[in-house]
Amino acid sequence: MNAVVDFPVKPEARGYLARFVPDDSEPGWLAARRQQAMTRFAELGFPNRKSESWRYLDLQPLENQPLLPSPAAPRADTAALSERLAHLSLPEAASRLVLVDGRFAPELSTVEPRSGVWFGSTAHAMRERPDLVRAAVEGIEGDEAHPFAALNTAFFSDGFVLDIAPGVTLDRPLEIVHLGAGISESSFHTRSVVMLGEGSRAGIIETYAGEGRYWRNDLVGVLLGQRAELTRTVLVEESAAAVHLAQIEARLGEGARFTGFVLLLNGQRVRHEANIRMGEGAKCVINGAYVVTGSDEANIVTVVDHTAPGGQTSELIKGVAAGRGHGAFQGRMIVREHAQKTDAHQLSRNLIIGQRAVIDTKPELEIYADDVKCSHGASVGDLDETALFYLQARGIPADEARRMLIDGFLREAVDTIEDIAKRTHLLRRLAGRLAELEG
Amino acid sequence: MMLEIKNLHARLADGREILKGIDLSVAAGEVHAIMGPNGSGKSTLAAVLAGREGYEITEGSVRYQGRDLLAMAADERAREGVFLAFQYPVEIPGVNNTYFLRAAVNAQRRHRGDPELDAGQFLRLVRATLKLLDIGDDLLQRAVNVGFSGGEKKRNEIFQMAMLEPRLAILDETDSGLDIDALRTVARGVNGLRSPDRAIVMITHYKRLLDYVEPDYVHVLQDGRIIQSGDKDLAAELEQRGYGTFADAMGGDAA
Amino acid sequence: MSASLDTQNTVRELSQEGYKYGFVTDIEADTAPPGLDESTVRFISAKKEEPEWLLDWRLAAFRAWREMTEPDWAKVNVAPIDYQAATYYSAPKQSAGPKSLDEVDPELLAMYEKLGIPLRERAALAGVELAGVAVDAVFDSVSVATTFKKELGELGIIFCSFGEAVREHPELVRRYLGTVVPQNDNFFAALNSAVFSDGSFAYIPPGVRCPMELSTYFRINAAKTGQFERTLLIADKGSYVSYLEGCTAPQRDENQLHAAVVELIAHEDAQIKYSTVQNWYPGDAEGKGGIYNFVTKRGACRGARSKISWTQVETGSAITWKYPSCILEGDDSVGEFYSVAITNNRQQADTGTKMIHIGKNTSSTIISKGISAGRGQNTYRGLVRIQPRAHGARNYTQCDSLLIGDRCGAHTVPYIEVRNPSARVEHEATTSKISDDQLFYCRQRGLSDEDALSLIVNGFCKEVLKELPMEFAVEAQKLLAVSLEGSVG
Repeated sequence: MNAVVDFPVKPEARGYLARFVPDDSEPGWLAARRQQAMTRFAELGFPNRKSESWRYLDLQPLENQPLLPSPAAPRADTAALSERLAHLSLPEAASRLVLVDGRFAPELSTVEPRSGVWFGSTAHAMRERPDLVRAAVEGIEGDEAHPFAALNTAFFSDGFVLDIAPGVTLDRPLEIVHLGAGISESSFHTRSVVMLGEGSRAGIIETYAGEGRYWRNDLVGVLLGQRAELTRTVLVEESAAAVHLAQIEARLGEGARFTGFVLLLNGQRVRHEANIRMGEGAKCVINGAYVVTGSDEANIVTVVDHTAPGGQTSELIKGVAAGRGHGAFQGRMIVREHAQKTDAHQLSRNLIIGQRAVIDTKPELEIYADDVKCSHGASVGDLDETALFYLQARGIPADEARRMLIDGFLREAVDTIEDIAKRTHLLRRLAGRLAELEG
Repeated sequence: MMLEIKNLHARLADGREILKGIDLSVAAGEVHAIMGPNGSGKSTLAAVLAGREGYEITEGSVRYQGRDLLAMAADERAREGVFLAFQYPVEIPGVNNTYFLRAAVNAQRRHRGDPELDAGQFLRLVRATLKLLDIGDDLLQRAVNVGFSGGEKKRNEIFQMAMLEPRLAILDETDSGLDIDALRTVARGVNGLRSPDRAIVMITHYKRLLDYVEPDYVHVLQDGRIIQSGDKDLAAELEQRGYGTFADAMGGDAA
Repeated sequence: MSASLDTQNTVRELSQEGYKYGFVTDIEADTAPPGLDESTVRFISAKKEEPEWLLDWRLAAFRAWREMTEPDWAKVNVAPIDYQAATYYSAPKQSAGPKSLDEVDPELLAMYEKLGIPLRERAALAGVELAGVAVDAVFDSVSVATTFKKELGELGIIFCSFGEAVREHPELVRRYLGTVVPQNDNFFAALNSAVFSDGSFAYIPPGVRCPMELSTYFRINAAKTGQFERTLLIADKGSYVSYLEGCTAPQRDENQLHAAVVELIAHEDAQIKYSTVQNWYPGDAEGKGGIYNFVTKRGACRGARSKISWTQVETGSAITWKYPSCILEGDDSVGEFYSVAITNNRQQADTGTKMIHIGKNTSSTIISKGISAGRGQNTYRGLVRIQPRAHGARNYTQCDSLLIGDRCGAHTVPYIEVRNPSARVEHEATTSKISDDQLFYCRQRGLSDEDALSLIVNGFCKEVLKELPMEFAVEAQKLLAVSLEGSVG
């Protein structure tokens, strides 16, 4: 650790820097990239609240007790994990790829081969299809300014890669489950790639869950070719002591469509960041919901950058904060000078039900073209008294009426998921979470 | 006595007195109509009977089947059989209409000690009720009142009423703004509910609904008081002469 | 030619009509040497014969300022400002303060006439117009004349220059100065606190309804003069005051810095209505010259049921950076912010408000209308924060942006931070352009391009313009290049 240390290193980065060991078996381009990223992270350190997109997340749990990358894959109890999987996974999935503590677990996975589709772990892809990994790592910047993306580049060990040939359509969703086994307190840095060729279509569902204390630092790169369509549904049910920082970097080609849904249900600190760059006539939907309780925090941060004409974007994010929970949404819509005829709308709706809960929301429009239709709306409030009375006037007890209204409030977002299997699955998980919610 | 209101006074949080001494007795099997001009206190009376917050009862009492109605919470009143058809049914986004109604029906059944209905039993009851009222099933899968037309909302209220089989039904201007078909649905619902062990109180501005549902008694509410009571002929008289005349006629007494 | 091109041309023509307030008044000035250090602060304080406590206050501010850096979060590009090159004090040379209007330099009076300020007290004014306007005109750094003083004095209302208030009412100044905007609040407020030259002071005693609009007209005249006026306005229990602030500056090539501080204090049941029309020199079409308008305006609703209402029409300045805010401390207090901001050519505006809800049942309303043309960049930036004890707090915010031409920008950045479950906060924002259909419709009915544009822009801003006092609404409409469409108010 000598070559890298001739620059100022942020104190919180030291432990990570010490863990950084170049792997001679890796190709040169990757080694160089990792080295560069490590340097970047050491310089930047953790983002603080002065950096605009992190102002609503408290990273103290991570700063107080560092969670360093685990050097080797620990072996977990397969039987116990299988049982967890049974609850978490989507029965209708075509294939299931499971990562345990950030590393591919073949014994828990069932991946059906299909022509025109390469679907497997990132570690496997680096051996078999290094071109895919390279294209994704180099084709998607994002670790320049973003400290945790840089850390991810430095340390990622596994993840998944999905590459679909032009014109191929997958009828059933692929499922990826990220589990934390609860064996060691460490961080999992996963890097995944989704590349859809021209006119291809696919749906994936990613579930994040686990036990014990860990930090998941997940980065997904998405490259959609012309008119390609990807639906990505994310369910976050991490352990109550976990930190989950996820980032998706998506580049949409001409006429491509990205439909993202994210449901954040559990985790001590959860942050979902989506950065989408829109090609001409591309369509993007980002909907989602979060529930925070206890003293948990959840953030949804989106940036949709319309760089070419005719893009269409809509966002609907619903949040519920109970107990002393803290939820935040930061959504930014950029419409560049030449991106005429852009149609972009954001809606952030929030309920505070805990006496000491906090909601922050910051929908943001940044517009440099005139022939556009852009709007946003935000609201924060408690349950509608009139609706509550209406339910009670029909004989429904107050507690149940409140729960129905909260469920209905969030359901409006979940109901936008077109795939019925995914929708049903998420509603079930949501209901389970609401049942244990405090006031 | 099903409902016995004595000298009921109620005011809003800002101190404005709306009900200024209502006396009304409704026995089982009876249908009462309460008529009056805008601002006379009709909707306040309905809201107070259903237990809506925001009103202070300063005087008087309301007994329902011998019990103190005002001491009961809104949901308890509902489970005890008091049904209010809202003048403006509330939209509840995200809450499915069927799911909502089943929750209400089962809350009432639990309260009575009856077993809850499972999804299949409930659906059969729903179908039967819809058929009886001649209502389509297109409202079932939508969120409660969301995007409903005015007529659809009122039909939904009547449908809920039929499903919940109340002992005392209070209809707050359920007839206002309805076309003739919707009005018939409402009338069918109310007439179907008439029975010796039920009472119905219809609050209305117009006589129209009374042509379809014949009341046993008609009361005129004016400035927070019932100023006159009579049989159904009173409604016809009212229609002819208007509220103004009545108010004028009472002017001397009120002063 | 397409309608949208027409629109752009119209805007260009409107803007090239030129800045009609761009003339320089030739008056001998008593000016501090350029540069800023402690001795500058002492020079200003000495010139103004200030008491020790105020000098100490200024020095504390200066020391805080030295440790601070310019804010960089606003969405504006600012050429680096050389604070050492500016002049911090410039007073028209006169042996003593004017005792009456007759003593005021006739050239000054002529200038105000050009600006159209009714400085001369005319007996007819009070009778003929709806309400008289008491003017405290700030010419560069010194308040030159205050009108209607006697009439106000009879009601116990104090309305005078800041310097006079320091001399005549030191206890009031000392009690309130810096209590809403502390010396070290932000970079520009600290700078102002150190070097402020003059400004306006008003105190409305308990239960008094100020019978006329109080008004200050600011003018930046001398070249390279930063203007740092300071306004302190106190409405005691149950009083009411409406305050107008208008600004013009002559056309000059170098950017001039304007860093004012305005503090408002409303006690129990008091109401303050503060209206601003800002039409400082915006720079030329290429972005050369123009005022840097970096202002800190804040009001504290200290007492229960107090109300502070800000209305602003911002059409001038090269760069505007201001967030008139309300600290809603008193239970049931009310804050309002109505804003129209126009940016054309290379103008940049980053403006909005902060509504801090502290007391119970506090409510606030924000209506912001941003209009961007040419290469202008217009940002609404606002904060609505509901503190944990602000039970039953309410906010409604509406931000609309209108784009004219495809090279300008409109940005909306609301921060909504809620810490109480009984609060209700709603925010809506839209962005649209003037539609060709609207323009065509107007023209088909016989309106010229210019009139059509004015009509549409006026309609777009109507909700804000109607909040302005009558005297200002007219001027604001002129500024929006708008023909009167019905009566405003």
